Amino acid sequence: MTSLTGKILKAPDESRKSFLEIADLSHSFAGNGRDRRILNHVSFSIARGELVCLIGQSGCGKSTILNIIAGFLRPTSGHCLLEGKSVIGPGPDRCVVFQEDALFPWLTVRENIAFGLKSGSLSLKGHFEEVDRFLELVDLQGYGDYLPREISGGMKQRVALARVLIRSPQLLLMDEPFGALDAQIRENIQELLIKLWQKGSQTILFVTHDVQEAIALADRVLLLEHDSRQIREELVIPLDRPRDRGSEMFQAYCRQLRQGL
Amino acid sequence: MKGRDTLLALLIPAVILTIWYVVSETGIIPVYLLPHPGTIFHSGALYIFGTPGQGPYAGRFLNDFIASLGRVLLGFSIAAALGIPLGIMSGRVALVNRLVSTTINGLRAVPGICWLPLAMIWFGIGIKTTVFLVAMAAFFPIYLNTLTGARLIGPIYFQAGAMLGVSRFRSIFAILIPMAMPNIIAGLRLGMGISWAYLVLGELTGVPNGLGAVIMDARMLGQIDIIVVGILLIALIGRMCDRLLFFAMRLCFKSAKRLT
Ligand SMILES: Nc1ncnc2c1ncn2[C@@H]1O[C@H](COP(=O)(O)OP(=O)(O)OP(=O)(O)O)[C@@H](O)[C@H]1O
Ligand SMILES: [Mg+2]
Repeated sequence: MTSLTGKILKAPDESRKSFLEIADLSHSFAGNGRDRRILNHVSFSIARGELVCLIGQSGCGKSTILNIIAGFLRPTSGHCLLEGKSVIGPGPDRCVVFQEDALFPWLTVRENIAFGLKSGSLSLKGHFEEVDRFLELVDLQGYGDYLPREISGGMKQRVALARVLIRSPQLLLMDEPFGALDAQIRENIQELLIKLWQKGSQTILFVTHDVQEAIALADRVLLLEHDSRQIREELVIPLDRPRDRGSEMFQAYCRQLRQGL
Repeated sequence: MKGRDTLLALLIPAVILTIWYVVSETGIIPVYLLPHPGTIFHSGALYIFGTPGQGPYAGRFLNDFIASLGRVLLGFSIAAALGIPLGIMSGRVALVNRLVSTTINGLRAVPGICWLPLAMIWFGIGIKTTVFLVAMAAFFPIYLNTLTGARLIGPIYFQAGAMLGVSRFRSIFAILIPMAMPNIIAGLRLGMGISWAYLVLGELTGVPNGLGAVIMDARMLGQIDIIVVGILLIALIGRMCDRLLFFAMRLCFKSAKRLT
């Protein structure tokens, strides 16, 4: 165990050139006549191409951080810099896979994936082929003409993934995307995500409250603490991929992270 | 399945017709109160298919129908053209809602029939009064349902749109209207139904043609069979307008087809 603690870094590595830089971020929601502080001087940074997991208890502000980075929410104070530029709204360089189902219910799977391409809609031959390519990528060939209500939860999240991947955003924000899925399907999709990530050049910030999921996916895990409302711990996971969930090391990392929670 | 549904829908009308036939045949209800179904059928056929010389109402149907339909469509279109945009704005922009909701709800509390005397003074007797009444009455269900539909859309869909590169203006058409479509259609159908009711009210005031005018005219002449014919025709046409509206919406909008 003690050999592992060496991997914990109290402060972000300054030498790493930061792609996403969160500095001193605070956020309060107004409610019941007084402000409730949800984030309290949160700072961290992510390098290009990294897959970082943000873990924390329910209600500790994970989605809030993601919403700020996505540009849906203006923080009360602090900065969110993407490649040195301040985030002031949604942009084509960032995409979110939401915690809830956010597919457009009146569009088929194929139309949902093509939605982000727009400008010319599905009628263009090139678009059609590209959409099919992404359908295949998330293993949904044959489901292109289904409506969201006609497919399962796991399939919906894969569509949500394809719909953002097709825009090839530099930063992918994923908010407990697989939270509602059963263990087996969840592992399959996690593997799929890793494969896609290894192929592409995306940077991923992945929110979860599942320790196993964090250890299975991440280069680095950030732990957002509920009480202090700050990033409390940072755990680097140097394990090779694909990771063996049964291995001694994997379990050791899980234990360590669980202690932090 | 489809055939059985149709049969089921026709069951109640068939029962009513049978009872009606029996009470007329046996004289339980005298024919000067409710004419025999055979008489109705005959008068109706004459009204619809007859040629002018054959009787006072013979062959007038097409003219009346076109006149009434025109008034309904005009009033309904005005109501939709005002109700949908206003409903969307009230549903999404709190400031607009605060600005107009008191006024609109106040107006809504006034029974539509109260507008009749005023409308007659403003517009005289004729098409304008009728169109005004129809538009006034159809506006509220369209407005209120659109408002509800627009308000209920979760912010996540607009966020998803924004991240997928949809501008705020375009999201009205790309996201808001499709998402609110089931409610918009519900409002339009209610509005269409009420349009026919107010059409008759507007036409009772002495316009020369139209289905409501025929009913009023027939009452003065004591032609009760024509009154019943008029009622039945309005029921039938109203029902057909509703189906057509629904069908047209589903034909024109993907969201209508897939969400309703
Ligand atoms: N729009 C809002 N208005 C007021 N309070 C909010 C709002 N959104 C979130 N909160 C509050 O902020 C806190 C953090 O919410 P957030 O959704 O970020 O949590 P989370 O870490 O994503 O939780 P979960 O794991 O359950 O998704 C919660 O206590 C919630 O009540
Ligand atoms: Mg959340």
